[in-house]
Amino acid sequence: MRAWLPWAAAALGLVLLALGPTYVLYDAEQRTLGSVFMFVVLAQGWNLIGGFAGYPSFGNVVFFGLGGYTTAVLMVKTGASFFVTVPAAAAVGLGFAVLMGIPILRLRGHYFAIATLGVAEGMREGVINLPGLTGGNKGTTIPAVGEKATASYPGNTGFYFYFLILAVIAMLVVWGVARSRFGYALRAISQDEDAAAAAGINTTRAKIAAFALAGLLTSVAGAIYAYQQVTIYPDRLFSVDITVLMVVMAVLGGAGTVIGPMIGAVSLQYLSEWLRDNLTDYHTFVFGAIIVAAVLILPMGVVNFALDAWKRRRIALFQAVRAYRL
Amino acid sequence: MTQFLQATVYGLLEGGLLALVAIGFSLVWGVMNIVNLAHGAFVVVGAYIAWKLNETAGLDPYLGMLAAAAGLFAAGYVVQRCLINLVVNAPIWMTLLLTFGLNLLIVNGLILAFTADFRAIHTGWASDSLAFGEVRVPYGRLAGFALATAVTVGLVLFMARTRIGLAIRSTGMDRAAARLMGMNVRHVYAFTFGLAAALAGTAGAMLGTINTFSPASAAGYTLQSFVIAVLGGLGNMWGALAGGVLLGLVQSWGGQYLSGTLVNAIAFGVLVLVLIVRPSGLIGRPYYEARAEA
Amino acid sequence: MSPVLETRGLTRRFGGVAAVSDLSFSLEEGSVLGVIGPNGAGKSTLINLITGHVKPSEGSVLVDGQDVTGERPWTIARSRVARTFQVVKPFRDLSVRENVAIGGMFGPERASSARKAIAQADDALERVDLLEKADASPGDLSVADARRLELAKALSMQPRLLLLDEVMAGLRPGEIQPALDLIASLKEEGVTILVVEHVMKAIMAVSDSLLVMHEGAELARGDPETVMRDERVIEAYLGQRYAERARKDREG
Repeated sequence: MRAWLPWAAAALGLVLLALGPTYVLYDAEQRTLGSVFMFVVLAQGWNLIGGFAGYPSFGNVVFFGLGGYTTAVLMVKTGASFFVTVPAAAAVGLGFAVLMGIPILRLRGHYFAIATLGVAEGMREGVINLPGLTGGNKGTTIPAVGEKATASYPGNTGFYFYFLILAVIAMLVVWGVARSRFGYALRAISQDEDAAAAAGINTTRAKIAAFALAGLLTSVAGAIYAYQQVTIYPDRLFSVDITVLMVVMAVLGGAGTVIGPMIGAVSLQYLSEWLRDNLTDYHTFVFGAIIVAAVLILPMGVVNFALDAWKRRRIALFQAVRAYRL
Repeated sequence: MTQFLQATVYGLLEGGLLALVAIGFSLVWGVMNIVNLAHGAFVVVGAYIAWKLNETAGLDPYLGMLAAAAGLFAAGYVVQRCLINLVVNAPIWMTLLLTFGLNLLIVNGLILAFTADFRAIHTGWASDSLAFGEVRVPYGRLAGFALATAVTVGLVLFMARTRIGLAIRSTGMDRAAARLMGMNVRHVYAFTFGLAAALAGTAGAMLGTINTFSPASAAGYTLQSFVIAVLGGLGNMWGALAGGVLLGLVQSWGGQYLSGTLVNAIAFGVLVLVLIVRPSGLIGRPYYEARAEA
Repeated sequence: MSPVLETRGLTRRFGGVAAVSDLSFSLEEGSVLGVIGPNGAGKSTLINLITGHVKPSEGSVLVDGQDVTGERPWTIARSRVARTFQVVKPFRDLSVRENVAIGGMFGPERASSARKAIAQADDALERVDLLEKADASPGDLSVADARRLELAKALSMQPRLLLLDEVMAGLRPGEIQPALDLIASLKEEGVTILVVEHVMKAIMAVSDSLLVMHEGAELARGDPETVMRDERVIEAYLGQRYAERARKDREG
């Protein structure tokens, strides 16, 4: 395959996406695509810590919520403009990831997953219990429109582009990591942490770095989301459902690959919307069935399945069952 | 003072019930290294079974509890044998996702079948109570606590004295060795999971007589099971009882003096702290790394 | 000149059991120390203690005169200490070449990019005669090749001190000689080697001195011939009857 082909395709896709809102896409479609882009960011963030490093975090939403609330609180309390709050949200995400990572990345497997879940849930409860700062359960409203607004509200097209830009950044970050020594370090850690340490890899630093990157990307996504929603609530911004969605997207697309999570985010978001529109009552039920089926049939994700089929000429369906059955 | 005693009584009794909810979860995690995110859903299914039998056939909830246990044992056995056994050796996020999908299926199946309304099972006497001075000890909760203790003792004996119990324990320690010694590990795993589901269902039926429930209650039960399993040490039956009581007390005392959600935040904080400092639980023995798997 | 490796009173307890108990020895540069002992004698724990994968309960480890007790494994690895694992630990989803390249990327000779390290990996691969399989997946390798990969991974770290944990286990007789030749040639280059082994013929051929461990403690240490005739060693391996018989043979 020609080396420039994927790049050309990506560039073309990007141009189309950039022109989309002006020429082709309706408001609702822009909103949908906007959330697709947002989930690309979330899934790629998870991909770094869960896919590459092999530490399945079930609490990444904590960064999402922290980013969102940082933006909201700053805009409400200090009247800052949105663009000023973005670096703040990024710093909060990064800083909290490092703080949290130091004790928690020492845990492995289930323990790590549950500890991250515990932190996310605990943070949600914590935010609810600070009504003076965050509005608690009643939520908080960003002065996005009206006299208190510091800038004009971006609207659907604006947010479309904010999320698109962030998604492109996320893709580039993961692409960069995958080719670099850092990427190899993470993969070595995920495949055998003892051997990785014996080979000279500072596993503590590498894990924390991956987690910090994930935190950074996720919190900026949360910041944009908060601005878009205008009124935010703890239950929404720290929702476990968001965590699960990003994990499913990354895993079913292909954890540890560059384009896997993107494919996962696009397909699952559209699938979710389609289900919601067409099978309203059953949509979560069917979604659950799809997750179960996908884990059994395509546990390595779409991209890895395709690579396997291409390189080794084998159709590795039900591979989990074959490899992992009791 | 009365308030404190009352809160303590409620905490103890509620804690016993929570232990019953969590004990199966802890068992499955300790023996098979599977975190069953659908555990809370099993609890709620148990409640619905007892409720439905009570509504349509007038069946006493205590008999309904047995029906729930039997039904869930069968269901759990099949789920493990035909579904989870397929990916038991896989990286953990696979089993986590699988059980999460299962949870979605069950909870939404319940919503479709019974709607999301809150239900309760009515017994004549469960809300009456003994009175010690000004402190009330509700019969329903007392029965629940007694049941939880009896079940824990029963389980400990079961694990120590019966063949299948020993099979479960040894398979939990070294699956390959157990196989080499002729144990049918697929069956042992399925049995364990069925047992855990039955325990969950029993707890659910019991809880249904005391609290209201709906499909949405499942998540809370799963989360509490986490905390209790970690506090008490995985696979540790007495630990689950102690952990449950501890959590019940913390929630009850906390609820007296702090807002409800802050208590939850504290529970999560304790969970994370225990995981970091002593992952084997407050009661469990130090986790030995050499856990042979094959 | 300080010895390349020195241990002082090295002890490690797990619960109530001492896996390694009060071990003190030193290794001069370019020498080969064979470590033998019955299963469970603490040999792998000894290696883990030296490489930092396990922290000692008491005692210290010195590499080139520097106290490295309690250091993290990667710090010690970057001091040019490399090891193989008794149960091989390849990076399963990386190719054989990439496996070896990891050491080049993060070891003492930190390559400046992943691509450079991958290119340099071929040297180590050739050394262990694994070059033709460079693109294979570790899962497809035979036992002997898997051990070669472990060795290549260790060699890619350009070690001064090499710790080999039962590299010959499971090898056919014909496969043992190439391994011995490799160890001999490494020794010629000045690499200091600690070999844990069960294959007697191999370890006798290669070692300058022998350390016999039993239940975590040193049972005997010194010149290989002398040590193997030591009554206590025979007793530990073969039992009292053989020890007595050996003694009678000597006296008679």
